[in-house]
Amino acid sequence: MITRRDFHTGLATMALASLAGVKLSVARETREDDLFLNRLTFGANAANRKEFSRLGMRGWVEQQLAMPAQDQALADRLGKVRLLIEYEKGRTEEGKPWAALSEYRSLGYLGKDPAEMLHLLDFDEPLDFSERDRPAYEVIVASLVRAVHAPAQLREVMTQFWHEHFSVNSTKDEVTAVFFPSYDRIIRKHAFGNFRTLLGEVAKSPAMLAYLNNDTSRASPANENYARELLELHTLGQDNYFNDLYDNWKTVPGALDGMARGYIDQDVYEVARAFSGWSIGDGRELDDGSYAPQTGRFHYIDRWHDPYQKRILGIEFPTNSAPMADGNRVLDMLAAHPGTADFIAAKMLRCLGIETPGQSYHQHVADVFHSQRNAPDQIAQTLRAIIFHDEFTATSPGKMRRPFEFLAAIYRAAETEVSPRTDAFQWMLQQAGWRQHQVNPPTGHSEHSVDWANTAALNGMIRVALESHSEWFEAEAGSLRTPPKGVNNFGGLASHWEHRMNAPTGALDGVFEAFEVEPDTPLWDGEDLEWVSNGMIAVLAVTPDFMFR
Amino acid sequence: MAKDPVLVVLFLRGGADGLNLIAPSGDSDYIAARPSSLRVVRKGDDAGHVLSHQAADVDFRFHAQAGGLSELFQAKELAVIHAAGLTDGTRSHFDAEDRMERAAKGATAGGWLGRWLKDADPGGELPALAVGTSAPESTRGASNVAVAEELEQLIIAAGHDLAPLLRDRLNSGFGNHDLLGAPVKRLISLSRSLQARLTNPATGEFGPYRPAVGYPQDNELSGPLMTVAQAIKLDLGLRVATVDFGGWDTHMDQMGAFADQTATLSNALMSFWRDLGNAREQTCVIVMSEFGRRLRSNTSGGTDHGFGNAMLVLGGTVAGGRMLGDWPGLANDALDDRADLAITTDYRHVLGELMARHMRVKDTNFLFPDFQVQTRGLFT
Repeated sequence: MITRRDFHTGLATMALASLAGVKLSVARETREDDLFLNRLTFGANAANRKEFSRLGMRGWVEQQLAMPAQDQALADRLGKVRLLIEYEKGRTEEGKPWAALSEYRSLGYLGKDPAEMLHLLDFDEPLDFSERDRPAYEVIVASLVRAVHAPAQLREVMTQFWHEHFSVNSTKDEVTAVFFPSYDRIIRKHAFGNFRTLLGEVAKSPAMLAYLNNDTSRASPANENYARELLELHTLGQDNYFNDLYDNWKTVPGALDGMARGYIDQDVYEVARAFSGWSIGDGRELDDGSYAPQTGRFHYIDRWHDPYQKRILGIEFPTNSAPMADGNRVLDMLAAHPGTADFIAAKMLRCLGIETPGQSYHQHVADVFHSQRNAPDQIAQTLRAIIFHDEFTATSPGKMRRPFEFLAAIYRAAETEVSPRTDAFQWMLQQAGWRQHQVNPPTGHSEHSVDWANTAALNGMIRVALESHSEWFEAEAGSLRTPPKGVNNFGGLASHWEHRMNAPTGALDGVFEAFEVEPDTPLWDGEDLEWVSNGMIAVLAVTPDFMFR
Repeated sequence: MAKDPVLVVLFLRGGADGLNLIAPSGDSDYIAARPSSLRVVRKGDDAGHVLSHQAADVDFRFHAQAGGLSELFQAKELAVIHAAGLTDGTRSHFDAEDRMERAAKGATAGGWLGRWLKDADPGGELPALAVGTSAPESTRGASNVAVAEELEQLIIAAGHDLAPLLRDRLNSGFGNHDLLGAPVKRLISLSRSLQARLTNPATGEFGPYRPAVGYPQDNELSGPLMTVAQAIKLDLGLRVATVDFGGWDTHMDQMGAFADQTATLSNALMSFWRDLGNAREQTCVIVMSEFGRRLRSNTSGGTDHGFGNAMLVLGGTVAGGRMLGDWPGLANDALDDRADLAITTDYRHVLGELMARHMRVKDTNFLFPDFQVQTRGLFT
């Protein structure tokens, strides 16, 4: 176990006091295990606290990093989910009918090869649109189950991180929906791996190709949508976009010495040319009347590619390179660029709760990311650089849980069995500003706490907490309806939830009146008990202690 | 007594194609650069609405789906400032939005609306409302901004039987928390006053907003604009409202998507304006976007990120029915970077004039530091 180091130095305590205001964390120390667990998982709970204490911090982190992307128990759990699909009868344009349907159906698309799902893209098939975008909703619902129940929590946290980084609106249209399960698999698989590999998989993923229109990009003029976001959101970042400073590639620092330090619009145009022809094998009709193959995978259309010389970040690309060589070379350059390391390091730190790292901490993480760029476990090594640094423990909890993280943390702390029957939770999260896998602009959700500290997110999260165990929410299977073991009155119930939610003893004093009970009132059961328990959980969730990690 | 002026900032996120919204439909460079599907055209079912016969040489027209905008223009309540925008060289959505909404370089804190809200500290229950689920960058720095899609969302746990308990806990639990202290206080106070105003005393239920005119159905802008209209009419002291309207990033298959977006904008804005009734006199709406789009279309039937764009100002006291600003033309040499509509009016001239003349801000220098606002004659 590591020591608490300077976490309890006077300075840190003072910072904490000013942050917390009245009587909050000043008197309470954040437990060291929770400091790690709330950042590296979707929420500390009894089970992972026990694991953490058994293995020690480093042992626990290594165990997490060693866990594979597949887990049988989790797969079994996902196999039991039955998600509603419901629609009216209808007809195709040619008049082929489909029948009305309402059924609770298993998540059959999660592991499926997209080649077997291409009929969902065929508008001659009599299918309601709910059938066509069903694959996306299966991933959305599965993501909550995974966040709450996956043993490989750190992988799940990083999967969510990369989904946000390489954000795709899964229900933009039927193409993104059909390819979203395979996109989710790519991201989860490489969540701890090599960034260049992940970047390449994303660049060739039909979901991203369709989302940012590169699937229709051909010479000339090429479609710039993907090219621009590749530079701005996926690799170099906005800080390395120098277009306001330079309007000629030669003048960008570094451009004449092997590699420009940042990019300008001229680079965007050239990168767009490099990716022209990168499309999807989904059987679509091409401009010359031929059809793309039905592979359900990346498909390169050579005659759409702009083959002539290019200059990107000051580097010359020859004419008529081999198929896909231009695009692959761009990805090589960007993944190896120090600007990318800076950008990704800051984002990973923010994801793990460090919003304002010191310069040397940030630099250290960026250096590891950059120096390990060819390592198969580059991202895992970068995670270690973040987690095992003094400043990680010295930074007090100041990162606000965002709505999805907040909901998952409630379920984890309450040890609720989550098995959604509808996507009602998604609708509720939207009131708080969260659209899991359905963000329209390619930026994903904001990672900055300040963007969530507003009346809408706050009141939305209150609502999420209050409804998290209500029946209509249909996200859990009534686990609050039986009295917890050994608890026989409401005072005992309050202590039980204070303990589970890691709140101070007595945090629920004074709530009994609202439930019209006394502490020594014998416990009810069934829905009435569920209502009280959920109310107590909500009261404990809507506190700075629980909302910040 | 004249009521305090209200400013509504409607931001078209994604880079709205001003050259498809209000365009010189007869200009030969325009016709040469784009297929007719991405142009405002002069003939046929989709012919655009003529702005003014005075500019007949290039025949400026509104998009066919912008009938509402055209009507407001003819009624002299809507002014167009074309070839306007952010002159910093950026064609990134997020960078351009950031820069425009901050409207300041270097160490100047916050956004342009945030600086005004902080300085003027207008008081009232609801001085600023960001319609949506997050506040735009322009309001950054102000602690008096409420964020909600509907006013009912500012009532704590509306209709839930545990609402009083949660309200008490919020009241005692957050204190001066540096991130949540201010939003918690605002939520508690707004919750109290809205509960009283929106609840039907007979039934105890929330009464829905009843606009004075119908708003278009299936129109994503109707709800947000109704929220603004309701907030103005409730007399909560609203001075600034922001509404975001996304979906303008038309890199691909622009024709249908742009027509739908334009109809949504035009129809909802028309209803909003009628709904306001007498409050029109005190209200101005500015419609803006982070940049326009490339003059030449791409091979996906769309347009990529461009530069200059049109801004629209709608107001009871606006000298409308005019297109302001210099039109640079679309000849190759007149374009920015030989690619995009050039900018002849810095967007801050327009915002500055609005703040000075409509919002009655004496000195706008602190809103737009290191910038000299020159009026464009929005208000005669």
